[in-house]
Amino acid sequence: MRVLRSVSIAFVLVAPLASQSAYQERDFLTRVRRLTVEGRRAGEGYWSPDGSRVVFQSEREPGNPFYQIYVLDLMSGDTKRISPGIGKTTCAFFRPGTDEIEFASTHADPKSKQYQEDELAFRASGKERRYAWDYDPEMDIYAYSEKTGALKRLTEARGYDAEGSYSPDGQWIVFTSMRDAYNRQLSEKEKKQLDTDPSYFAEIYIMRADGSGQRRLTTVAGYDGGPFFTPDGKQIVWRRFDESGLIANVWMMNPDGSDQRQITDFGSMSWAPYMHPSGQYIIFASNKLGFENFELFMVDKDGKKEPVRVTYTDGFDGLPVPSPDGKTLAWTSSRAGGSGGQIFLAQWNHEKAMEALKNAPPKKPAGKS
Amino acid sequence: MREPFDFTAGTRDGGSTFSGTAKGARVACEAGCVRALSFSDTGNAEGPVVFAGYGIVVPEGQSFAYDSYATLDVKDKIVLVLRYFPEDAEAKTKQVLARYADLRYKAMAARQHGAKAMIVVTGPRSPNAGELAPMTFDTAIAGSGIVAVTINGATADKMFAAAGKRLEDVQKSLDDANPHAAGFAMPDVTAAVHADVVREKKTGHNVVAYLPATDALTTTAKPWVAIGAHYDHLGHGEAGNTLASKDDAGKVHAGADDNASGAAAVLSIAATLAKEKRHRNVLVGLWSGEELGLIGSIAFATAPPVPVDQIAAYLNFDMVGRMQDNKLTVQATGTSPMWAKIVEQANVAAGFDLAVQEDPYQPTDVATFNSAGIPCLSFFTGTHADYHKPSDTPDKIDYEDLDRVAAFAAAILRRVENTPEPPQFTKVEQQLQSGGGRAGVRVFTGTIPDYSSEAKGLLLGGVVGGGPAEQAGLQKGDIIVEIAGQTIANIYDYTYALDVLKIGQPAKVVYLRGGVRRETMLTPGARK
Ligand SMILES: [Zn+2]
Ligand SMILES: [Zn+2]
Repeated sequence: MRVLRSVSIAFVLVAPLASQSAYQERDFLTRVRRLTVEGRRAGEGYWSPDGSRVVFQSEREPGNPFYQIYVLDLMSGDTKRISPGIGKTTCAFFRPGTDEIEFASTHADPKSKQYQEDELAFRASGKERRYAWDYDPEMDIYAYSEKTGALKRLTEARGYDAEGSYSPDGQWIVFTSMRDAYNRQLSEKEKKQLDTDPSYFAEIYIMRADGSGQRRLTTVAGYDGGPFFTPDGKQIVWRRFDESGLIANVWMMNPDGSDQRQITDFGSMSWAPYMHPSGQYIIFASNKLGFENFELFMVDKDGKKEPVRVTYTDGFDGLPVPSPDGKTLAWTSSRAGGSGGQIFLAQWNHEKAMEALKNAPPKKPAGKS
Repeated sequence: MREPFDFTAGTRDGGSTFSGTAKGARVACEAGCVRALSFSDTGNAEGPVVFAGYGIVVPEGQSFAYDSYATLDVKDKIVLVLRYFPEDAEAKTKQVLARYADLRYKAMAARQHGAKAMIVVTGPRSPNAGELAPMTFDTAIAGSGIVAVTINGATADKMFAAAGKRLEDVQKSLDDANPHAAGFAMPDVTAAVHADVVREKKTGHNVVAYLPATDALTTTAKPWVAIGAHYDHLGHGEAGNTLASKDDAGKVHAGADDNASGAAAVLSIAATLAKEKRHRNVLVGLWSGEELGLIGSIAFATAPPVPVDQIAAYLNFDMVGRMQDNKLTVQATGTSPMWAKIVEQANVAAGFDLAVQEDPYQPTDVATFNSAGIPCLSFFTGTHADYHKPSDTPDKIDYEDLDRVAAFAAAILRRVENTPEPPQFTKVEQQLQSGGGRAGVRVFTGTIPDYSSEAKGLLLGGVVGGGPAEQAGLQKGDIIVEIAGQTIANIYDYTYALDVLKIGQPAKVVYLRGGVRRETMLTPGARK
């Protein structure tokens, strides 16, 4: 789950910005279509390198109230589960040039079945918890072979390991880990922090596609997460929270961790950044318009301009992922109502996006708007 | 094959009469002072009169007790009751009372207490004061087992005068809904009532055809699938559910979207399937009488040419010709655990911006098939400003997207048709908590709800031109979240909230437009 703490993917309405943009959602997104229907919620749809399939997570099987990973074939419409079916999973990604798909899973935890039953009993009692991601420390990253069905474990460390994605050449995985909370002596203050919010310890790591050579790239307190390579493989884009956990911004760095630089200064939770295949701009989600009102925005690759709003529909919009040809956008939205998000696709108007970014005013530092 | 069915096309008064005595003197009843209620038995009743207040009995288990008959003996007497429910009651109380204020329900209460007949008068403190209650057309018609008529205010006044009272004072004493305020016997008043209800019987026709399986699976359970749409509409608007403006009243209601579009989808799917291999027989139904209350499809399900337990699934089409922004609503998905999977798969190719509603209790024929225990779906492209008006014409149909809807539904049908195991049926609990029946909504707000929305609140599919909602500045796309202090989560909340609105009295409406909370005042009009 490339998501932040306790974000409710709920239907929430908040007053929009006072200033009106010259653009509307239909300037950027046309022919909106809903991709997933089954189950309580689905999200995080990532494209196969040839654009013919989407891998995503969904709660859709009666015995398991948690996300499992599915691959949907856009030609046939067929959907197949590729994760073990037990425990929680999240954040899948196709490995370019191979038959592998990585994702994070807790199935190796002997208690994971019990957690399923507990959650099902809780729901049967008629209660509904606000959607919250719990950063299960038993979460580890696996690579699944579509040919053999074999699962290869790539991380072992205690602490949440997830949010993995491959480099365009398929040789590297950049991911998020909270292992720093478990592999050293914590101060009293840090121990308290771990109890209330383990994501404080989340940092960006990189490893080879076989799990070897795991290396830490970020060292700043606060949740660093959701990393992806840029289409040329030369940069990593991710989001960094401040220590309060309330403000997040889009950052970029080199794959060796050098040249870390802040792209947005939007004064809100700006997260789930993903670079368009043109390499010109980053699409991300932000609650600029109200605490639980996430909309999609985009920003030029150097962060010189103010971000441009992309979605204008009530409900949650987040986790944008452009198709490899840049012509379609997949994202997660609660625009259809109901209790959870589902994956939507729309035609993406790259020319209009470039025009809107060109016309955007220069970046204003947050707080001085 | 034309399948005839009989139905009650309407009721009219065949010459009901009323005469009374007050202190021995005759109470004159001028022409037009009396009318039978549509559910009345045809017959005569004569006897002493007891005034039973609003004639409302709230069943046990509600938040408070209210029984107009608690202190009265009405056995073998004629009860006189007020129409509607106590006018000055608190909103919460009113909401409960309104549920048991339907005249049919009042008639049932009178009969159960042994009354010979029920006479209804619209009190001077109520909307439509002194007027006769209309003979509302009710297709679920069946005699109520009691003679029931409505008289005008002038006639009632004479009876109360004989008892030494004024109706207005009497009504006022009841209007705060104090459960201890009661009616009374009217010792010097008698009435003789003759009710004459003429039920017009007509014959409607469903049109049913089928495509036999070409490659029947020998092991197939439930060897049929079915598709259908209603092909009736509103004619010149005689039946009463027209939304035509005054200028357009009486014109032909073309019904291009409602529901030539659905009928076209059914024929197009049938034409497509006729050229393909079929593993199940495909029943093709065009229903009549939908606008009168689903009576064609109900007649079909009551005496089906194919046993309903042999039908694996039914797909319904009602208003599928006016797609906006690629949005398609698929209703009744809760009727089978299979639907979400099948709909998801078919939509990967079809590419609609789907809204999915589990609820099968929709105001269209799909409700009939759900009641028959058949997994079913209904397709709907949304309501619009021409809904139930003469302006629902063919030039406004989006034919290209109508074809897409048909192709999408055909893909869904194929999945069911060629799978040996039929979809399992799931019963969806009905959301509306039904009381004894509801008094017809008597305020007019001019809102057209969008039934396809599962948004929190009431999404407006449109507003009636010149109506109170339009005058209040409301428009299509607005979401009403609060009215007169009551929060609105869904259409049912909204209809109950309407019960407490007062005609001519502005009520605050809170709504969302483009995510912004706004307020306006809406002044409801009267619905006759
Ligand atoms: Zn219709
Ligand atoms: Zn209709």
